[in-house]
Amino acid sequence: MSFWKASIERDTMGYLQFLIIILFSPLVNGMIKKLKTNMQGRVGPGVLQPYYDLLRLLKKDMVVSTTTSWLFKATPYIVFTATATAAVIVPVLSTESPYSMMGDVITLIYLLALGRFFMALGGLDAGTGFGGEGSSREMTVAILVEPMMMLALFTAAISAGSTNIVLIATVHPAAFSPSHLLALTAFIVAIVAETGRVPVDNPDTHLELTMIHEGMILEYSGRYLALMEWAHYMKQMILFTLAIDIFFPLGIAQSGNPATLAAAVAVYAAKVTGMTLLMALVESSRAKMRFFQLPSLLGGAFVLAFLSLVTHIMMGK
Amino acid sequence: MKSWIEAFSIIDFISVGILLTAVILNAFKSIESYVKSYTVNSWLLAGLIAVVAVLVGETHLYIAALLTLATKGIIIPLFLRGIVRRMRVTHEIQPYLSNSLSLAISGVLVAVVYASLKEGIFITGFSKNVLQISIAVILISLFVMITRKKALTQAIGLLFMENGLFLAGFSLTFGMPTMIELGVLFDMLMGVIILGIFAIQIKRAFASADLDKLTVLKG
Amino acid sequence: METEQLLFFCIVLFAVGALSALVPVKTFRFIPYLFSLAGSLTFLFLGLILTGITPVSYQALSSSSIFEFSLRGDALAGFFIITISLVASAVSVYSIGFTRNSVYASLSGFFINVLILSLYAVVLSANLFTFLISWETMAIASYFLVTLDRSEEASRAGLFYAVMTHIGTAFIIALFFILYRATNRMDFEGMKAGITAMPTAVKTIIFIFALIGFGTKAGIVPLHTWIPRAYTVVPPHVAALMSGLMVKMGIYGFLRISFDVLGQGPEWWGITVISVGAVSALLGILYGIIENDLKRFLAYSSVENVGIILLGIGASMMFKSNGLAALSSLALTAALFHVLNHALFKGVLFLGAGSIIHSSGTGNMEHMGGLLKRMPVTGLFFLSGALSICALPPFNGFVSEWLTYQALLLGYQSPSITAKIVSPLGGAALALTGAIAAAGFVKAFGITLLGAPRSDKSRDAEEVSFSMLAGMAILAVPCLVFGLIPGPALSLLMPAVYLLTGASTTLEHHGVLGIGQTSAALSPIGMLVTMIVMMIAVLVFIRIRGGKRKIVYADSWDCGISGLTPRMQYTATAFTKPIRIIYKRIYLPSRDIKVQYFLKPFFVKSIRYGGEITPFFERYVYEPATRFIQAVASKAKLLQSGSLNLYLAYILITLILLLIFAT
Repeated sequence: MSFWKASIERDTMGYLQFLIIILFSPLVNGMIKKLKTNMQGRVGPGVLQPYYDLLRLLKKDMVVSTTTSWLFKATPYIVFTATATAAVIVPVLSTESPYSMMGDVITLIYLLALGRFFMALGGLDAGTGFGGEGSSREMTVAILVEPMMMLALFTAAISAGSTNIVLIATVHPAAFSPSHLLALTAFIVAIVAETGRVPVDNPDTHLELTMIHEGMILEYSGRYLALMEWAHYMKQMILFTLAIDIFFPLGIAQSGNPATLAAAVAVYAAKVTGMTLLMALVESSRAKMRFFQLPSLLGGAFVLAFLSLVTHIMMGK
Repeated sequence: MKSWIEAFSIIDFISVGILLTAVILNAFKSIESYVKSYTVNSWLLAGLIAVVAVLVGETHLYIAALLTLATKGIIIPLFLRGIVRRMRVTHEIQPYLSNSLSLAISGVLVAVVYASLKEGIFITGFSKNVLQISIAVILISLFVMITRKKALTQAIGLLFMENGLFLAGFSLTFGMPTMIELGVLFDMLMGVIILGIFAIQIKRAFASADLDKLTVLKG
Repeated sequence: METEQLLFFCIVLFAVGALSALVPVKTFRFIPYLFSLAGSLTFLFLGLILTGITPVSYQALSSSSIFEFSLRGDALAGFFIITISLVASAVSVYSIGFTRNSVYASLSGFFINVLILSLYAVVLSANLFTFLISWETMAIASYFLVTLDRSEEASRAGLFYAVMTHIGTAFIIALFFILYRATNRMDFEGMKAGITAMPTAVKTIIFIFALIGFGTKAGIVPLHTWIPRAYTVVPPHVAALMSGLMVKMGIYGFLRISFDVLGQGPEWWGITVISVGAVSALLGILYGIIENDLKRFLAYSSVENVGIILLGIGASMMFKSNGLAALSSLALTAALFHVLNHALFKGVLFLGAGSIIHSSGTGNMEHMGGLLKRMPVTGLFFLSGALSICALPPFNGFVSEWLTYQALLLGYQSPSITAKIVSPLGGAALALTGAIAAAGFVKAFGITLLGAPRSDKSRDAEEVSFSMLAGMAILAVPCLVFGLIPGPALSLLMPAVYLLTGASTTLEHHGVLGIGQTSAALSPIGMLVTMIVMMIAVLVFIRIRGGKRKIVYADSWDCGISGLTPRMQYTATAFTKPIRIIYKRIYLPSRDIKVQYFLKPFFVKSIRYGGEITPFFERYVYEPATRFIQAVASKAKLLQSGSLNLYLAYILITLILLLIFAT
């Protein structure tokens, strides 16, 4: 009982910081899109457009295929709650998070995997070729990305001595060592693959052969589609926040002091803006790769992650 | 200045950068990329010498850094680029091992080098790390030479090996006397020029500088 | 003395059950399974007792010191008994409904009872003699169950299985022989005293023989090829028994010999086991995901999970050899918990597959589809089994894989560099197998249960009987419960871990699973509560902002081409084809395309596409070995010429030699 009392006595920011991810993830996606279109010389939609889209979708009726079963209608809720639970685990602004006792890095990755599992099943449920292709390619990309991402995270966890995200964020304020930089590079390639951005997948297209994520959610409409899209935005922001927490957490608030919290807000906003800029740059400077060229790209990133592990063992930092 | 270098472990970053340029050779197909990788490698090497010069305070090391920059960083890459254009061979089309596989094997080579050289009579700290990296660079460039066919790739592999050897010696002795260094550099320059002329002549005579075609010339 | 009477009672129950199966009365076909259910539940009770008390031994039939039948129940035996009982009781309940219409019900009832009893006997054996007898009984009973339906394929699978299991048994007999000669004792407990004096070379030979011999039963690569063949031809309840329990006997034997009897060994043992586990897991699941037969896929998935268990065991051995007892106990906890979890969720999956195959009349995924709407309860249990085996929260598979990850990451604390590199790589291999398994189970669940039916029989499939559903429930509910509240299950296996590694770790406080050394924590209950809160919040939010909306049912999006047929869906082969292309250096696929034309090359009449992968181990490992043995055997045939004079000459020569050398 005293355990619960002590945790309630901590500040509320630790309890509520996950709301930042839930509420601001559409904004982050809108920012990436705006930056990307500006770099391509177009005006593009406004940064708040995803919010308008989500609210509009909530007010529409749903069209559901007769081929589907109860799993199809349950999947958007399961995907959303799994991703939202992952958002709860990752510390956004403050390391005074009581949820660090609930899960660590591995739990976070597997919660996102739970969402992916159901998304893939939902894609197969409608009995169409689009859904099947999207599911098949999504699971194949996962096979290529997961070991690389885990190895990069393991290197960071080994150097901090734990997989507890709060602990990793407090031990190394900024990862200024070669092995961390290598692991960060590999992890950024993983983020590009997991969030379905060019050169792995094109998030703006609706052509059959180029969509992975879009293929799986093709049959969803109304509030189901809103939930799936929102979960996708949240997953993106969770991965950004995870990279920030593990590789450059400098500036994260380590107490409940309002001044440190305000500084943490500013620092976090700056870092996230930096990452959106990086994503927009990556997307604008490359074309989407052929699907079977992906093993070379992701295999190369795996070698980078392996090098980061070996460098860490050799150099001890 | 000294403490700033140590605090940010600049030497570690530069040495890992040198290792990366060697590993990344396996991922490229165009000879121009090999030359670019060699250029970055040489610049990083010159940078490392300069940083050590600041740390240790010996002036002849500054000269060594400038020499390395001039010859290996500027003259030789320009020369190589000229040869590439003259020979009109631009890509390594069919290496003996695919790029992904050779990338993976290079990674394993690095691990093997680290695991084998973890103890010894070496000076601890910066020397040990740099020595391990230099031997890894030597092995990786040898591996690249084994798995590729074009004559120019062999030449660039040799150049990388020379860089690795120099780095190995440097980590143990903090720089050889200037005279010896000058001599080695001059020999290298001559060697590269001769290699380049030979490559062009071979291509002109036999219409190809591919190693597996040249094996027909035996007996 | 109570436990002795309890044990006697259990054995009697099984014996009666076996004999009652031979009574050819049709209406009481399910009686043997009632007995096996009762026997399993009693054994469960016994197992729970055994984990809490000091070891008890029973003796019977001691004729001489060698041929003595003695049993001993300690904490390790208790844990395995609990695992066996859970699965055996579920299978018994399931069989009551399944064998109602089966022709071979009587024989199968007999052999199932014998098999389950032999499993208990293996775990309880106290000396080499008892162990070998129980092991052989297990092999014989399962052989008969494999060849029960007398079909061509079943006989071939049975023969292959018999040969493989006896190769393994040969190694086990050899290692027992070495142990007896070195320590002069037959019982496991008494042997331990003589082990410390044994030279390391002998210990290494014992370790290798144990790995090969028990590995054949457990199914490590490359000794695993009997598993897909056998599991495809057996009925599903037997497959659940074999996959969930019999392969665990290989794990049990390996643990008993290498941890309990041998004590501890050099570090390279642990690293070898980690490597073998990683390779076995990867190759097992890679060959599995391209299979279209549901049971074959599940069989390969068992090979993968044995690899994961070996990862934990190898890490434990590595820590033990470096003296890190606490870490060793953590790793072994992970491995043993995965033993229990795998038995549970593999049981659910095989029983579910059995129900699906029974209802749809085919085992091929390409002919199924849309069964979730026709068999909702079976589908729900199959889904929970699939979620558990893919290690997705909040099920039990996630907890045991999380523990295995933590153990592998702590491998960094070992002194040697090889260990520091191999452990995180083992973690990366674990992540890779998890991702491949997830792809396979999305395919298995999605193609068979979702979408539109691909054949007529699937269209008319019906839900199965209550007893079959109850059997699945007995295993599916613990999958969820142990995932949410792993504490009680972990405390059940802690005494066994203490026995084998000399340390025990309390992992759970107030519903939070925590690793003391790293402060990494996991709270499944916390996650469930969070998920429920999020679900409620999102439902409320949608209702507020969106209002009440209705659902309109229509056809799937068909791009304007009306008339989507089930044949236009994604097929099982197509689903994993990208993986087959990416890993083509492992699969070595070959393709065969035959096209028939009307007017070459303008009008195509038909296209026949055949794709095949190279059965690597069979072509390059087994066939050369078989040819070699046959060549040697044909040379040896010369000794048997059939001539009486030659045989008399053999006898004469042997007598002369004995005379010379014995005096």
